[in-house]
Amino acid sequence: MQDLLDSALARITAAGTAAELEAVRVEVLGRKGVLAQLSKDMGKLSADERAARGKFINTAKQSLEGAYEELKSKFEAEALAKRLDSEWLDLTVPAPGARPGSLHPITQIQWEIEDLFRSLGFSVLDGPEVETEHHNFDALNIPPDHPARDMQDTFWLEGHHLLRTHTSPVQVRGMEKLGPPLRMIAPGRVFRNESVDASHEHTFYQLEGMMIDRNVSAGNLIYFMKTLLTAIFKREVTVRLRPGFFPFVEPGFELDIRCLICGGDGCPVCKQSGWVELLPCGLVNPHVLRMSGIDPNEWGGFAFGLGLTRLVMMRYAIDDIRWLQSGDLRFLRQF
Amino acid sequence: MKFSYRWIREFVPGLEMPAQALERLITMKTAECEGIETAGALLAGAAVAKVQAVQPIEGFHNQIATVDAGPYGQKTVVCGASNCRAGITTVYVPLGLKKVSGVMSDGMLASAAELEINRDHAGILELDGTQELPAADQIIEIDNKSITHRPDLWGHHGMAREVAAITGQPLRDPVDLSLLPAGESPVQVEIEDFGLCPRYSALVFENVTVQPSPLWLQARLTAVGLNPINNIVDLTNFIMAELAQPMHAFDRAKLQGSVISARPARAGETILALNDESYELNPANLVIADGAGPIALAGVIGGKDSAISAATTSIVLESANFQASGIRKTSSALKLRTDASMRFEKAQDPHNTVRALARALELLPVLSPGIRLVGGMADCSRELSVPAPIWLNLPWLARKLGRTLETAEVRRILESLEFGVTETDAENFSVTVPSWRATKDVAMPDDLVEEVGRMIGYDSIAPTPPAVLCAPSYDPPEREFLRGVKRHLAAQGFTEVSNYSFISEEEARRFGFAVESHVRVLNPIAAGQELMRTSLLPGIYRNIVENAKHFEHFQLFETGREIHKVPGQKPAERTHAMAAVFSKDDGRAGLLELKRAAEGLAPGLHVRPAAPNAWEHTMRAAELWWQGRARAAKRIGRLSELHPNLVEGGRGAVLDIDLELLRELQPEAVKYAAVRRFPTSVFDLSILTAERELAATLELEIRRLGGDLAEAVEYVREFQGPPLPEGRKSVSFRVVAGAPDRTLSSADIIGIRTRIIDGLNSLGYELRA
Repeated sequence: MQDLLDSALARITAAGTAAELEAVRVEVLGRKGVLAQLSKDMGKLSADERAARGKFINTAKQSLEGAYEELKSKFEAEALAKRLDSEWLDLTVPAPGARPGSLHPITQIQWEIEDLFRSLGFSVLDGPEVETEHHNFDALNIPPDHPARDMQDTFWLEGHHLLRTHTSPVQVRGMEKLGPPLRMIAPGRVFRNESVDASHEHTFYQLEGMMIDRNVSAGNLIYFMKTLLTAIFKREVTVRLRPGFFPFVEPGFELDIRCLICGGDGCPVCKQSGWVELLPCGLVNPHVLRMSGIDPNEWGGFAFGLGLTRLVMMRYAIDDIRWLQSGDLRFLRQF
Repeated sequence: MKFSYRWIREFVPGLEMPAQALERLITMKTAECEGIETAGALLAGAAVAKVQAVQPIEGFHNQIATVDAGPYGQKTVVCGASNCRAGITTVYVPLGLKKVSGVMSDGMLASAAELEINRDHAGILELDGTQELPAADQIIEIDNKSITHRPDLWGHHGMAREVAAITGQPLRDPVDLSLLPAGESPVQVEIEDFGLCPRYSALVFENVTVQPSPLWLQARLTAVGLNPINNIVDLTNFIMAELAQPMHAFDRAKLQGSVISARPARAGETILALNDESYELNPANLVIADGAGPIALAGVIGGKDSAISAATTSIVLESANFQASGIRKTSSALKLRTDASMRFEKAQDPHNTVRALARALELLPVLSPGIRLVGGMADCSRELSVPAPIWLNLPWLARKLGRTLETAEVRRILESLEFGVTETDAENFSVTVPSWRATKDVAMPDDLVEEVGRMIGYDSIAPTPPAVLCAPSYDPPEREFLRGVKRHLAAQGFTEVSNYSFISEEEARRFGFAVESHVRVLNPIAAGQELMRTSLLPGIYRNIVENAKHFEHFQLFETGREIHKVPGQKPAERTHAMAAVFSKDDGRAGLLELKRAAEGLAPGLHVRPAAPNAWEHTMRAAELWWQGRARAAKRIGRLSELHPNLVEGGRGAVLDIDLELLRELQPEAVKYAAVRRFPTSVFDLSILTAERELAATLELEIRRLGGDLAEAVEYVREFQGPPLPEGRKSVSFRVVAGAPDRTLSSADIIGIRTRIIDGLNSLGYELRA
């Protein structure tokens, strides 16, 4: 019996493949296998013999099954390892499908500034690109035949309409629609009838801002401009106001920032002056408030205009404004 | 506008700071300076010199001149001027030694142009021995835009007033009104409309000698950009540059009659102007006329026929005031901008006409010795109103600026600018506005905020956060929606472009758009930009063609406004998104990429084949329909491939979506439905059909036949080729069957399946095993 068991064990351990092992399992542990044979004539044995045989069979079964399981696990592990090995993959090949696209640099900077102002409680408003003379000029205190109209060469459309020369008409629309108190910005496309060259475009983007409340001062304006510009340039900026003429504000200011390149010592960017002219602003002219139905004795405010196109050019040191409207992916994919 | 530092200093004698420092102060307190230039740089070291001898240089046109250069002693210079001859008095400029025509030249003899006295460069300047050389000057250039609102700053005296106020120095007035004569003038002035011409003043002179002006005056005019012509014309320009009052001199002998009228031009009248151009006039143009007709375009330009000439011996000197908008209209209509019109359109002070004449009375005897005034002054004027004083509340002023103010300081500032200040009580001033600021510029307290603010210095105001109520901002939904669209398209691999709103007629025609349906630009910047786009397609098409030169494959998009004509109303603007794919393959993948992008924006949209437009591939054009929140699907856009004739070397596919409609159709907030508890069963069907049968048609039929228990029908794949017969394809769908309230029995499933198969068979489709 012991020989029988030893030979069965030897056959199990000799199995070289999972299939061989399975064949041996049937022969040894199967219903017609060696163990089954041993239990067959149990009934003919005496009680003592039967007990001894039973014990032997149990032990044999355990050792045979143990050997089988061990080898089976080994074969399974080998098979899995082989499969995994066969599934080697080169992950350095490019992924299929489109590359990520990108947003226009104007869009990116516009959103950045919109988010900043929204965090300060400003609404982001929108207005038409085709404007009436009233909204683009008259309601902003620029009557017909005012020389200030020369400051903004205008595209005229048939039917006495025009392409807005600034985003300022949205101020008027904002005041008409929302009334005071009001905090709003209006980014958008504007048009000037100017020949295009490296630094001039007839189509560009502005962001208009306005705040109407009680007791708004020039000091408040300076505060907001400083906050805005510090956020845009991501560093502390020094600003200064000097007189500037824009009919829709009184007083009107040109806002300069201390040159970020030279820190104010003078360099070619600031034309040696230490300052860079950045945006026009001012306290809203009472006529403009009145024309939009707001009582200037009760309410006042400030307004400013930021050149988004100019800001994009400053931020990325773009040397030619024409890239922005070029549709050239060699340029646009960089952003 | 160019300002002479020396001229300003004549009116502010206490001015000591250099021009550079002054320029910075003017920029900070008055108007933007664009820079400083030296006028007559060579004059700085120039000396009057006498030419002693001249000898030719063999083989050269130049000559060697020996000159007595005054303080520089005797010098030998090479000179090319033909008028260089022994005995003349001219100007020597030391420039150091330099070899010219083989000879060492020690300095040069200068022409009037080189010295920047006038434009004469025909020869070296010849002096009569009595004239002094003008001095070099510093010219401060002010940005014209920054003084649009300041009629007074179009003359040196006005700027000098600012400088006096800035520096705290006294201001000298060059005008002595007591010089104005009493009595009748030999000319009578008639003004037809005082609205157009509030005032016309004139003086008549005889025994006039027309000759060049003294060098100092010529140099002054040249320095500020005016062109010296003769003493009379120069006088008018000099006073204009000084007092901002444009003037004109007529040759009295050329005038018909003694009546000068300011009146609208009669239809059909013409005038030959001083610039040798002839202008046809209409009643919108104000003219100055004599008995025979127009002699000047009022406030713009004089007439050639009555111009001052060498033969002139008697003149009428005009100093008038014209309505700003009228001058501007005429000047714009005739495209004729002159130094005079530029000033008048800023609304000049009518009080200034007689000041200019008084100044002329002082200068003319110097410029034209022996000149005689004839009679008194003609002065026809409407009643010049005095503007009401402005009430200025000092606490209000301090609140506007955002800083505290000393009452005395406010008074000092206003008075230095010649405002009249009366303290009505401790908190209020009554401020009268000087006439030169009252025409347009200063009329309300806010204007005084600027006067005080700029002089006290905006840099003295501390940045202060405002104390306002906290409130959520109003945000129009369109903005956020547009952001979402852009983000989606960029994430799907599209690069955002920005195109012009203008297209050409040719572009409109290329895409089959009716030219007359476009809003036309009346003054396009260039040919090819005369129409407003009614579609983003022309721009996107251009992007495809241009980028195809550099890339094998690309995806781009734009969001922007279409501008549509609305009869009798303002054009309508409609925001669209257009995306495009260019590739060098069969074009299929690009179209499906666009479809995927569209489905991301409008989940569940339907594609319906459409009749192609002229610019589209005849077999690859479709409309996009979407129901969204609406009751019925609406057409939200179009998906198509560009006609192969339009795109070389590849395929261009475009997707156009009406973003406003897309936004309106956005579904309302999601409503949660309980997740099904009963399992579903799945079976596949393969349908053999004609190769151009639409998958969507089959899907729709399967859904219809499957009824409520067919919960989902999904397209799996399609197959064409052997063993299938030519012209046939097999399309496979997966049907998910289930019910909300029970598990379907196998009999139920077989029932559904049989119903679908029988139905399809009866529609003529064949089912594949």
